[in-house]
Amino acid sequence: MSKTILALFLFCAAALSAQPGHETHQQKIYDARDKVLPALVHIQPVIKNYRTGELEKQAVVGSGVIFHPEGYVVTNYHVAGKAERILCTLENREIVQAVYIGGDPLTDISVIKLDLSKYNGKLAVAEFGNSDSVQVGEYVLAMGSPLSLSRSVSAGVISTRDRYFSGEDRLPSGERTGRYNLWIQTDAAINPGNSGGPLVDLDGRIIGINSRANLFANNLGFAIPINIVKEVTAAILKDGKVTRSWIGLHCQALQELETYFGAGDNNGVLISSIDPGSPAEEVFLKAGDIILELNDKPVSARFVEELPAFYSMIAKTKPGDEIKLKVLRNDEIFNFKVKTRELGDLQGEDFECKGWGFTIKDITRQMMIESQLDDTIGVYVVGVKMGGAAADGGLRRGDVVTKINNSATPSLADFTALYQKLHDEKAEKVLLTVARSGGTRFVFLNIDNDEGDSPNE
Amino acid sequence: MNSRRVVTVLSAIAVVLLSSLSVGAQDFDFKRLEGKIKDYTLVIDLKIEVSFGMHSTEQSERMMGTLVSDDGLVIFNGAPLSSDAAISTFAGVTVKTSPSKIELTDLNGKTYEGEFIGVDRFTKIGFLKIKDYDGDLKPITFVESKAFVVGDWLALYMLLPEFVTPSVGADVGMISTVVTSPEFFPLTVGFNSLQVTSVLYNHDLQPVGVLGSLLDPSEAATDQSGMIESFQQFGIPLLGVVTSSRLQKMIADPPKQGEADRGWMGITLQALTKELADFWHLSITSGIIVNDIVAGSPAEEGGLKTGDIIYEVNGEPVEVDKDEEIPIFQRNISELGPGASVELAVKRPTDSGFEDMRLLITLAEAPMTATDAAEYESKKLEFKVRNMVFGDYMINRLDPQTFKGVVVSEIKPGGLADIGGLQLGDIIQSLDNQPIGSIEDAEAVLSKMDELRPDEAVFFVWRNNKTLFVNVKIDWE
Repeated sequence: MSKTILALFLFCAAALSAQPGHETHQQKIYDARDKVLPALVHIQPVIKNYRTGELEKQAVVGSGVIFHPEGYVVTNYHVAGKAERILCTLENREIVQAVYIGGDPLTDISVIKLDLSKYNGKLAVAEFGNSDSVQVGEYVLAMGSPLSLSRSVSAGVISTRDRYFSGEDRLPSGERTGRYNLWIQTDAAINPGNSGGPLVDLDGRIIGINSRANLFANNLGFAIPINIVKEVTAAILKDGKVTRSWIGLHCQALQELETYFGAGDNNGVLISSIDPGSPAEEVFLKAGDIILELNDKPVSARFVEELPAFYSMIAKTKPGDEIKLKVLRNDEIFNFKVKTRELGDLQGEDFECKGWGFTIKDITRQMMIESQLDDTIGVYVVGVKMGGAAADGGLRRGDVVTKINNSATPSLADFTALYQKLHDEKAEKVLLTVARSGGTRFVFLNIDNDEGDSPNE
Repeated sequence: MNSRRVVTVLSAIAVVLLSSLSVGAQDFDFKRLEGKIKDYTLVIDLKIEVSFGMHSTEQSERMMGTLVSDDGLVIFNGAPLSSDAAISTFAGVTVKTSPSKIELTDLNGKTYEGEFIGVDRFTKIGFLKIKDYDGDLKPITFVESKAFVVGDWLALYMLLPEFVTPSVGADVGMISTVVTSPEFFPLTVGFNSLQVTSVLYNHDLQPVGVLGSLLDPSEAATDQSGMIESFQQFGIPLLGVVTSSRLQKMIADPPKQGEADRGWMGITLQALTKELADFWHLSITSGIIVNDIVAGSPAEEGGLKTGDIIYEVNGEPVEVDKDEEIPIFQRNISELGPGASVELAVKRPTDSGFEDMRLLITLAEAPMTATDAAEYESKKLEFKVRNMVFGDYMINRLDPQTFKGVVVSEIKPGGLADIGGLQLGDIIQSLDNQPIGSIEDAEAVLSKMDELRPDEAVFFVWRNNKTLFVNVKIDWE
């Protein structure tokens, strides 16, 4: 008896779902799918890891989407950043090679280009939408290769359109990320492998690039809004990178501090910290100053969600240009002019000192500030290989090598030139002078030149 | 004397051959020894206050003590009260122990009250003083033993559990080897770590030292500031004899809790390894390379330079050729004490090699450690701050000349400071726009809040190499 009722009920439900309105919704999903899915790319790059003291290559899997008729694909920086041998599988299961064009760790976006010289099929191109007009509750589709399962589509809604993460988060390669963007949060299932894949609205336009998810939660995925991606990809296609201005400010939300700072009408951006040696420090801006206007435009960050937009205003100024700031300090108004500098690379170029058992990178200004180094002179030790000559000699991650034997190594180029010479000579005893927490130490390398050099390399 | 040793050795062998029980102990006149120990052995009942975060409980500890001076000085196992045990961080919460009550009972049943003095940071021997000591007991006099020989037997008395009478019992052990590096230390077998600080007697029933353990120097404090203490001394403890000469030095000038009695040069250093010495074609094969010199320190005033190699201290060669041995050098300098003059023989690098020179350095007091820094507690905001110490400046790479503040040393979970977002380790630079350079400054502002009852307190703090404002809302209901 009860079985009959249940069967009847299911039948009713089936009949209901066949009504015209629902049909339209399903049809919209099919239409959206058809606009983007053919442009979906399964990406298998080989990325380089220097953190263990030697160059380790690692095959990873991510997703991407073709956004340009010449075969440009957008994906995450953490998928394809500085990758080599990028293998792409298109939606029609054809495999093509791709090359790395450029990337931006700060927004976790990179662009690769498909090598279409041997490809005769059709190339689908997906369209970017407008992430400013998306709404919470709007239906979305996520496409990509979750856990390497390519051509997968999942569906959900936009959970939040302005999720904030502090810009102190780091990519696996060590760069800070997230300072210049908010995130679209969705409950469409996103798993490892979805990284770099598109988040699509029901008009079949990409509104975000899926980048991260909370793996301990149910369906907490986060996408970089497409309007940010549009700017970043345009800059990468033009210059291979995003150029930003820097004045050295860190700000915090004014909420709950406005009474304390006398910011009566809840306007302005509160400076919380100033980088040493920065343009902001040089003009004597201070923590506790409240910026009311930037180039005569009122600015405000009462909530953390407003900070990325403010940082972007500074970043988008042309390096070398002057920024006018109207500042409230102790109930008085001051006007500052700050000449910006280029932010520059967050991390320097990597290098493996093969046979010596450690890896290094060039020191950029941002690294100097982050690691509280005195200057950018020398090369920064990224990793020390266990059991290698450097490990035996007492070298540590974070040391700065300033000399090889008696020759100074102020930059990576100086270092590699000296290294190459000694490596070719098969030098067995090398003395490094390193700076460690303000002191000067000596690291003696007892190098075994027969070790690790396999004949076919 | 000689014949006695022969007898000992023979009987030891005989015992090994015949049985493995109650070994070689036949030679000890325990009846006589028991009479002797009555003169100076005491049972100590310690009440220890343990605070975990901002909660505290009292623990009881019972241990054996030995009277070592005419004026009532007593030594005991100070490990539970040593500075690294007295303050440690566990899951982000500070655990502190301090003695709250000390009661002593001699073996005749007479009781005394004691006062805690301090713990030696290397041997963990604790020192306390009997209050209003009347001179009833006869202090022990340690005897310098000429030689410790493998196979020699030693006896001790240990404290027995409370439910048996009498309260002490005997045990014997044997010297298993005489360790010479990293320091002179005759190792024993047959004793256990619960007996640490018990007096050790030779066959003539002479007290030749106390039972102690040998610390792995690579695990010991590697930072002169004492900030980085060793919390991790696991593994099998190597027990042995803390010798009379070392004890007598400590008894003459016992370590006092919270008092800077350690000598300090103000350098960071590395070992001159044989490889480095070879590379530089030096005639010496061990020493200390100066890596860095603290501004305004005795090392700087004495003319020491970064890169100098110290190979002699007061005419004695510095036998350090591995970084693991550096703590031995640091301890030796430390034990010379503040004010001591130290003559260093130094090789200074020049363009053409090394130049020999001699420098005279007057040691200063070692900088105060975080353990000893004075604290202030805000009962209302439910957190504690302490004064900044040398180690804070070193670790955070801050300039002591220009940077001032106090360090958040405890936060009660769920308390106002915690909810407001202050974090353990934050350095408070100002509070409600008043600069804070010491706990007195913090106290002045925080205690005034009790009258003014503001609804918020805005802290300006240093955290992770950046500054920020932290608003702590205050509920006065």
